Amino acid sequence: MVELINLSWIIPLFAIVVISIIPSKVKPYVAVAAVILGSLATGWLAVNALISQVVDFAFYAGTFLGNVPIRIDGLSAWFILIINFTAVTGAIFGTGYLKAYQNSSSKLALHWSLFVLFHFSMVWVCILQNGFAFLIAWEIMSLSSMLLVIFDHHNSQTIKAGINYLVQMHLSVVFLTVGFIWVYSQTGSLSFDSIRTFFQTNSNRWLFLVFFTGFGLKAGFIPLHSWLPHAHPAAPSHISGVMSGVIVKLGIYGIIRMISYLQSDFILLGEIIITLSVLTGIYGILNASVHRDFKKMLAYCTIENIGIIGIGIGIGLIGIGTQSPLMYFLGFGGALLHVLNHSLFKSLLFYSAGSVYQQTHTRDMEKLGGLFKSMPKTAFIFLIGAIAIGGMPPFNGFVSEFIIYSGLIEGIHTDSIYQIMLMIMVLAGLSVIGGLSVLTFTKTFGTIFLGQPREIPQHKPHEVSTLMLVPQYFIIAFMMSIAFLPQVFLNIIKVILDGMSHPGFIDSISISFYSKTAANIGLYSLFFIGLMGMIWLIRSSVMKRRRMATGTTWGCGYIAPNNTMQYTGKSFSKPLGKIFTFLLIEKKRFKELKPGEIFPEKRNYDSHYLDFFEFNFIETITKYLIKWSGYFRFIQNGRTQSYVLYGIVFILLLFLLTIFNIIR
Amino acid sequence: MLSFILILLAALFFTGVINRTKSILSGRKGPGIFQPIKDIIRLFKKGMVYSNTTSLIFQLAPTIYFSSVIMAMLVVPFGQSKGFISFHGDFIFFAYILALGKFFSIIAAMDTGSSFEGMGASREALYSMFAEPAFFILLGSMALLTGQTSFQEIFATLHLGSPISYALAVLAAFVLGMIMMIENSRMPIDDPKTHLELTMIHEVMILDNSGFDLGLILSAGLLKFSIYGALIVNLFIGMFPYEYTIPMFFAIQVLAAVITGTIESFMARFRMSHNAQFIFALTSVSLLIFFGVLMLLGKFI
Repeated sequence: MVELINLSWIIPLFAIVVISIIPSKVKPYVAVAAVILGSLATGWLAVNALISQVVDFAFYAGTFLGNVPIRIDGLSAWFILIINFTAVTGAIFGTGYLKAYQNSSSKLALHWSLFVLFHFSMVWVCILQNGFAFLIAWEIMSLSSMLLVIFDHHNSQTIKAGINYLVQMHLSVVFLTVGFIWVYSQTGSLSFDSIRTFFQTNSNRWLFLVFFTGFGLKAGFIPLHSWLPHAHPAAPSHISGVMSGVIVKLGIYGIIRMISYLQSDFILLGEIIITLSVLTGIYGILNASVHRDFKKMLAYCTIENIGIIGIGIGIGLIGIGTQSPLMYFLGFGGALLHVLNHSLFKSLLFYSAGSVYQQTHTRDMEKLGGLFKSMPKTAFIFLIGAIAIGGMPPFNGFVSEFIIYSGLIEGIHTDSIYQIMLMIMVLAGLSVIGGLSVLTFTKTFGTIFLGQPREIPQHKPHEVSTLMLVPQYFIIAFMMSIAFLPQVFLNIIKVILDGMSHPGFIDSISISFYSKTAANIGLYSLFFIGLMGMIWLIRSSVMKRRRMATGTTWGCGYIAPNNTMQYTGKSFSKPLGKIFTFLLIEKKRFKELKPGEIFPEKRNYDSHYLDFFEFNFIETITKYLIKWSGYFRFIQNGRTQSYVLYGIVFILLLFLLTIFNIIR
Repeated sequence: MLSFILILLAALFFTGVINRTKSILSGRKGPGIFQPIKDIIRLFKKGMVYSNTTSLIFQLAPTIYFSSVIMAMLVVPFGQSKGFISFHGDFIFFAYILALGKFFSIIAAMDTGSSFEGMGASREALYSMFAEPAFFILLGSMALLTGQTSFQEIFATLHLGSPISYALAVLAAFVLGMIMMIENSRMPIDDPKTHLELTMIHEVMILDNSGFDLGLILSAGLLKFSIYGALIVNLFIGMFPYEYTIPMFFAIQVLAAVITGTIESFMARFRMSHNAQFIFALTSVSLLIFFGVLMLLGKFI
């Protein structure tokens, strides 16, 4: 066991050295090999942890940290497996995606060594159980992902997004550090077990909320989400896929990890999380529906799914508080399963969006159209992702959403009227999220892939290389296995949740009942596919005997339609945007037609949507911060004399303070 | 299985009855009540015309739409007999499988590259989104009232309580009836008989479908009507023996069709820009049911 743990850091280090010296053509393959080998090492440990024993030992890390405990329990194992799968597909996809950069050797070397480091740090975030060591791994993860985001560093927008991400991630670190120091000051230990000790003797809610803010920044709960819509579009697609699929989920990992130490205040915290989550979900998908940059739309959609996962977590917490093992299971089980599901279909969507970007060099869906004909495989992959993320059967998204819905319905049957109302409201909210995601993804898929090209592309788009398609097929195969055999995954989740709660809290009878229901859903999904196949067969056999003709689309009698007359994505979601003007702030830039203007000149019209929280709060705060710090600008004036003076003042100050015994 | 056959039978005449009501009320003799079925059979026999713009999605969509409606039909129970598919939380499955069908009909409309069909698609997506919370709050309240979570058990248990639950059932019938109108794009949300593409919703989405595909779409429409009709019937029949419930089923279905026809004869369509608000107002009726349930259960002190 220890050898495998050691292997998991030796491989990346070795790979980084190798990547920097070999020719750039081979670099990606070495990186892929390193990611796969590292994944096998930690994956083996994780599988072991799920099947039989928890991996648990400590290593000595100097006098300051002492013994750093390393533990792979069910929860860590679940996240490690998710990280490994997504990182492997991301690395393989990235190999094809970055083919065009084969000549820029230094860029590729940096990118792939960072990718290996990034993968390694994510895995280690899940297994370190000492606050300080955890923060180091967390920091390596944030920094390496930030450097991966700014791959395209000649673009000023990308740099801006990278800095935004960097700053917000350090805000998150500040909160986490405060949390760990608080625990340290009360218990004298940095290990995670001491958090439980802390919760046993102190008030639970405040420390938990500090951690929740820290991890919530990573996960993207509103109003802490604003880094996502900047960082995801800026990053290369395989990086956005891994970031959205996994790095965001590590925020969720942190939250669930902290929950496993909680001792009281379950209902209050559950209610806070569930309310925040349903708002996050609705806010995320509303924004996703109006944006025309399709990677930005996917980023907002990630926020929506974090909301759905958060709803599950909230149900689970309320379940612990009301002593309802079923709600606990359905809530956390749904959340964990949705974490897996979302990591699959979101990375799938980002990869296929990346394929579109690689071929068309635009992220603006209004310039696209009709790609189904030139890139049919990518189109089908995107379609499968879109249906799955909308939570529709027969794909895996439905299974996890169904479990979360079941948790809500289970939560209705209690005595507390507040809880009943909360659950009904969340139920309605979740259904709105479902409806809106249908709108969002029909719009996106329809605008990008269907109809005809809205602009003549400079290069004719082609289907992407097999190297890029294969990892996506793997993801789809995995998704289908969850859709058809959900009971297998629910049983694994049961093991994880058993390990997290007091022994005997989960009662097996009602839960095995739900896994039977889930198994049935798998069967019904298969049946549904069979039904579709049957009707399709009937249709094709009838079609053989019928006359087929082609013509132009019915244009209501207009005989000279052109491609720009198609319905645009913008107009598709405009009615929705109009209803929610208070949340979706639209900024338009155009020159008004003057009253006396007889011959109008050529003019431009430009409109885009702003993020409510970013526009109203974050920008105001940063504006005042900048204004305030402007008053201190005189300190840095560029004159050597004054810098020498600062030194003298400082020494003088020290001298005086020592004389008057203020510092010793 | 019983519900499956009954819904099929009701679908045969539902739209016909609507049309007949409308023609009688406007002083015409009108076509026979099986005319819609005859039209569909005629369509099944015809060839097809495809637009050059469309792709495979356009051909797949009607099949998937039709299958999703069949699948939803299998979930609907009838009194004491369960649907073909019945499990805890099956109403979620019902809503989501219908959403899948809608997803495909929307993207098929966008596949034609027509501005009109895109407009209809956008409206369909928006309006059905607003109808979702009404349905879920309604079923959530029913689940709360009965302590059950599957269609059949909810409907069966609904009748064991106090007679006041029938008052709630009437409200619930109203909500389901309105959802039926939204799902089938009838008045007062959408006017199927309008001649202007700009003001259509569902009709404009299927402008380019023809032959077998159009037949599938139309028959799915007929089935959808009687599916929602069957849900309404289920609110009232409870555990009565079949010799009463089966005639009741047809009576209520015919009544629903006649009411629809009457509404369409005497009402104008709502303003398109106000439709969203109107549909969302249904949620408040659902909330009313929810508060009624809370009162019945004595949760308000």
